[in-house]
Order: sequence, then C-alpha cells, then structure tokens
Amino acid sequence: MSQTVLICDDAIFMRTMVGDILTQAGFEIVGEAETGVQAVEKYQQLHPDLVTMDIVMPDMGGIDAVREICKMDPHAKILMCSAMGQQALVVEAIQAGAKDFVVKPFQPSRVLEAVQRVLG
Amino acid sequence: MDNLQYAELFLTESREHVAAINAALLELERDASGPGAKAHVGAIFRAVHTVKGMGATMGYAIVAELAHELETVLDRVRSGDMLVDAELLDVLFRAADVLEQSIEAATAGRDGEVIAADLVAQLRALGAVESANDTWTVPPPAGDGLLVRVRLAPDTPLRGVRAFIIIQSLATIGEIVATEPRSDELQMESFGADFAARLLTPFDAAHVERVIRRAGDVADVQVGDDTPALARRQPSVTIEPATEASAAPTAPSETRSARARSRLVRIDVRRLDAMMNLVGELVIARGRLSQLAGQLGDPALEETVTQSSRLITELRDEITASRMVPVAQVFDRFPRVVRDAARGTGKQVDFLIEGKDIELDRSMLDEIADSIVHLLRNAVDHGIELPAVRAAAGKPATGRLVLRAERDRSAMVITVCDDGAGIDRSRVLARAKRDGLVDASKTDLTEDELLRLLARPGFSTAEKVTDLSGRGVGVDAVYTRVRGLGGAMDIRSTPGHGTTMQIRLPLTLAIVRALLARVGDEVYAIPLAHVSETVELLPENVRTVKGREMLLARDEVLPMLRMRTLVGLPAYVAPSAIDLEHVIMLDVGERRAALVIDELVGQDEIVVKQYHAPRAGLPFFGGATLLGDGTPSLIVDVSSLL
Repeated sequence: MSQTVLICDDAIFMRTMVGDILTQAGFEIVGEAETGVQAVEKYQQLHPDLVTMDIVMPDMGGIDAVREICKMDPHAKILMCSAMGQQALVVEAIQAGAKDFVVKPFQPSRVLEAVQRVLG
Repeated sequence: MDNLQYAELFLTESREHVAAINAALLELERDASGPGAKAHVGAIFRAVHTVKGMGATMGYAIVAELAHELETVLDRVRSGDMLVDAELLDVLFRAADVLEQSIEAATAGRDGEVIAADLVAQLRALGAVESANDTWTVPPPAGDGLLVRVRLAPDTPLRGVRAFIIIQSLATIGEIVATEPRSDELQMESFGADFAARLLTPFDAAHVERVIRRAGDVADVQVGDDTPALARRQPSVTIEPATEASAAPTAPSETRSARARSRLVRIDVRRLDAMMNLVGELVIARGRLSQLAGQLGDPALEETVTQSSRLITELRDEITASRMVPVAQVFDRFPRVVRDAARGTGKQVDFLIEGKDIELDRSMLDEIADSIVHLLRNAVDHGIELPAVRAAAGKPATGRLVLRAERDRSAMVITVCDDGAGIDRSRVLARAKRDGLVDASKTDLTEDELLRLLARPGFSTAEKVTDLSGRGVGVDAVYTRVRGLGGAMDIRSTPGHGTTMQIRLPLTLAIVRALLARVGDEVYAIPLAHVSETVELLPENVRTVKGREMLLARDEVLPMLRMRTLVGLPAYVAPSAIDLEHVIMLDVGERRAALVIDELVGQDEIVVKQYHAPRAGLPFFGGATLLGDGTPSLIVDVSSLL
C-alpha cells in the first residue's frame, strides 16, 4: 500500500506541483487543504503518513497548524514548504514539531530527499 | 510600503553592491597575490551575500541563485581553498555582469529573462570541487563531551535551519554542552563552512555520525577527534619534547586566535537603530531623574543617580561607537566612479582619498554617500578641464581631485577639492541678475552668495547653467540633503585654480550636545557644533549698518540676529538694568553671526527627534527634542539662519 499525503498550500499551483512530484514517486495524495484550519481538520479525518505544509496560509498559518496537529498526534510527520529568506519561520516550525523543510522553487530530487528524511 | 517600493530599494542598494563588487574585483585583479587580496575577496563576498539575501527576500530566484553560487565560490577563495588566477577572475567579472543584468531584469518584472544557467553551472562546478576537504575552520567549543564537527553540503538551502535541525537531532541522543558558533548565530547563518558542538551522550561516535547524516545536507562529519585539524595536517618539523610545559600552551593559543577571528558578528543596522533610540530615551529619562533627585536632596539618591548617569553615558558612547564605521566602507567605491567619469569625458584625473580611517555613523554615511558621488562627478565633469585646455593654461595635463575626511570638534568635515577651472562667477552672476535674484548693479559674488545661488532649487539644475563651464548640477540637491542631516556646506572657488566644496556633518544623527537658550517662554536648543562662544549683549557694541544690526565682537563685526524677531515676539524688556540679553556666536564653516537670546539655560545632550515642520512654519528649525524635564523644545538649524 502506498503512503498517504495531505498537501497544505493556499496556491493551487504549488499544490499541483508538490502533488505531481509525490504521485510520480508513488505516494497517494489523500487530501488537500487551502488554510491552516482545513489542514488541522483534514489531518484529523485522514491521518495521512505525511503532511506538506506551506508556512504562509490564510485562516491560521502553517506554523500554528503544525502546533495543532502535533498536539493531536505527536508523531505527525510534517514537511514545511518555505521560500528563501524565511529561516526564522522555518526554525519556528521545526520547534513546533515539523520534521524537515524544502525551499521553493521546488526541485523534485530535494523534495523527495526531504520526504525520505521525514518518513525515515 | 508596497512591493514596488521594496523593489526600488532593492534596485538602488543592489546597484551599489554590484559597484562595490566591480571595484573590489579590479583591485583583486591588480593585486591577486598581494596582502590586500584577502580583503578584496572579503568585500566581494559581503556584497554578494547581501544581494543574495535581498534577492531571495524579493523572490527573485535567478538573482538569488546566481548570488548563492557566486558566494559558494568566493567562500572557497576566502578560506584559501582556491587560488585567484586569470581564469577565475574572468568568471567572477562575468558573474558580476550577469548578476547586474539579472537584478535589472528582475526589478523590471522580468525575472528569469536573463539566462544564467551556464554561468550558474560553471560557478557550481568551481564551488563544489573537493569542497569536502578535511580542514575544519571553527575552534572546538569549550567544555566536556564529544567534539562533533559538521560541514554542510555547498548547495544547502537555508543553512541556518539545517544546522538547527542537526543540533536538534543531536539533542535527542544526548545533551548539547556548547556549540561553535553559538546556536543563535547558527540559526542566523552566521557561520562559515562548518560548525562544531560538544555533546554528552551514551552513544558511540558511529551512531552520532549516523544521526547527523540522517538530518540531511551534510557533506562531512567528524566525531570525537579533538586534535586541531591544522596541527594534524601540518606536522611540525622540529619535534619538541612532549613535556606538559611545552605541549599545553600551544593548543589554547591556537584556539584563542581562532576565537578572536570569530568575535565579529554581523548586526542588522535596524537593531543598532533601535538601540540608539532606546538609549536616546534613556538619556532623556536621565535628565529628568537628575533633576528630580536634585530637588529631593537625598545624598544617597543623588549618588546613585550620578552613578547611573555615568553608566548611561558609557552605554551611549559604546552604542554610538558600535554604529561607527570607517568612511572607507563607502569611499572605496569612489575611485571607480571617478575613473568612469574621467573616461567618459576624456579627462585625466589623479584621485586621492585622505582620511579613510575616520569613522562616521553608519546611517549618516549611507545618507551622504550619494551626495559625495555627486560632488565628485561634478568636479570631473565641470571642474577639471580637458588635458589640452589645462596644458594651454600652463597646468599639468592631469587634474587633481582630492576627497578628504577629517574630524573637527564634534563634527565630521568632508572636502572635495579639485584644481580645475573654478566656477565662472560672471556667468552665475549674469544668470542671477536675469532671474532677478541679485541687484542689477552687483559686479561680483562672494563665496556665500555663490553658494546661496547654486543651492537654490531650480537655479542650479537649469540647463543654461549646466552648460556653463562652472558646475551647478545638483548642488541644490546636495545642499538640501546636507541640511537635512543637520550639517552645513561651503563652496570656495578661485577662477583658474579650482573649487573646494566642504560638507560638515554631525558625527551621529541621533544625539547632539546643545546649548539651551530661553526666549520668552520657550527654550530652544542650539547644536554646540555651531557655537563658538557666548557673551552678554552690551548695548555699546551694537551698530546699525544700512538698517541692519551688527555686533562688534573683539575685532570682528558680525551680523546680528534677534531670536525674538525671528519667532515674532516683542522686544526684550529687562527685569532690571543688570539683566542683559545674551549673544550666541554661531559659525558654520567660514560664515558667522551673532544670535541674541533672552537667557542661557544650560548645556545638555539632546536626542534629535524627527520633526515634521508645519507648512507655513518657520524655516530655521531642524528638529525637535524633549528636555530633561519632559518639555518639548525646537532645535535651531544654524546653517539655515546664516
């Protein structure tokens, strides 16, 4: 059975891109969220093996979503998606419980390496 | 502020950095193996690093990527890992050009239009070659525990975060005793090729290494070997007896010198600004506190207040000092400016910079840099003559242009001096007459009148003056900027012999010493930098010449200004015959005047606050401040009074 992924990003473009990279690598995209609130709700419903989380989202940002999800499930495997120059935010996300990060623009190989580390 | 404004800022600043990169590359080319080479590489590295950070923040992927690869290569050069040769210089020069193009393209909304792929690949290849060599640069952190050294892969994104993740993963298998550099510096990416930590852990080295490698982007790990890498790689030829006395001191001294190197940290200027503001508030509070303590008259309290006053002064001095940078930081890009201007106009110019080590407040230096460029360009464009003209006038064909920085009292004086043709007064005069700015019967202009005319907005930028051999372009802009900074400007020009422009600036923007003068119910602050002395106003020393009051002071006759008249108060009525008004002797460069006030209140350090002058307000106030007792006071802009 392939491993399941929940993709959280407010931009369709980014969701599609991450989705394509992961689908091609054999993951199953079980859900998408556009806001932090949705991310928390969908995590509760779907219990995916992996979450990719954008940092900046409307209606609860990615970092708060990480905090909420890790409260429910301390073993949640969350990969942060960040832009360059967001190191302070990424550090905060890691402290909140995210396991690793990738930096936009995404290179498939880097995304998959990071996913492997998170699921490691 | 919207994104457009950021783009504007980014563009201006990046252009400056690219100019700095070019200048340093030229220096490096001239002196690739000399003693200054390291400094040049360092300068290029810093500029590239800044562009990278800004580009990434703006989301300009090409700019950021290019700068990043360039930085990686430079880092290798800097660490002595790569030699500077003609081939490398070619690549670096090209990279600077492409970086500039990509900056221009990105800010014009065409990010990605510049094709930099092959250059990026070339840089990447240069940066990656054997970067996993085994020299470790950071000193081992002090303390017990296993020494862990980590080098990140050269293309690691967000290196600070990766370092943080690695440290965190180590924390899951033991206790981190210390890191080198400190963990906050790690997070800020303030580390070079590698970093180190001390770990107390029950696990063996192999397991620790696995944990680190699993955290990702790790190029090289070393666990548990405490021998300094240098000593290991370069065994000394003479083998000294391994007595404790000779062996022990060597290791710490090496550590210490490495420590000394890493003692510098980069600090965001905004942080320094914030500190300066806080200290400014503290200085105000101090004034209030001393006053209250004085009223209470409790000796113990007064002693404590005196002590904390001294500490606050020291703190202020330290923070002021930390904001000071040598003017060289900005002046060093001027040779390129002058060379380019000279080449563009066919002039020959010998450019000399004096006083590079003089220090000035960083913000002030940034603010004034453009103005200096302006003056230098003007000197080349309009001051120094073409070689043939100079030869015909019996001067050496190569003109001489001097930029000098010096300290004078609590002011900084910047002088731009050329030996060119000087300003053609008769034509400035003719133009001024045409505009009705001077009396038609006037036959000559004094230096002051000349400056006043050139500094008139619009006068100097008018095309007809631009075409004159005399300069004029932008003097008004420079003058306005200098005044805005609380400084003053002077022009001296001798026909046929050249022009000297002098800018006087306070050393720091924020805190100045001022004389407090009461006029009516108001207390005004007059910056001490422009005060030469104060005297009582003896009626017998006042003369009236052509309807203007003048003051006889020793052997001088000075124009006299009455503050009461300026602010629209009725004349001073002395409470008794012995209560004379006071006079403050003001000077700005060569210009002097006597300012009459009611009474001197004292002298204090004042914190200059931004002041938005009402539209119809009086034009001779340059800012506002809060006095020790909390009442607001206006700061007199002396240069606009004279």
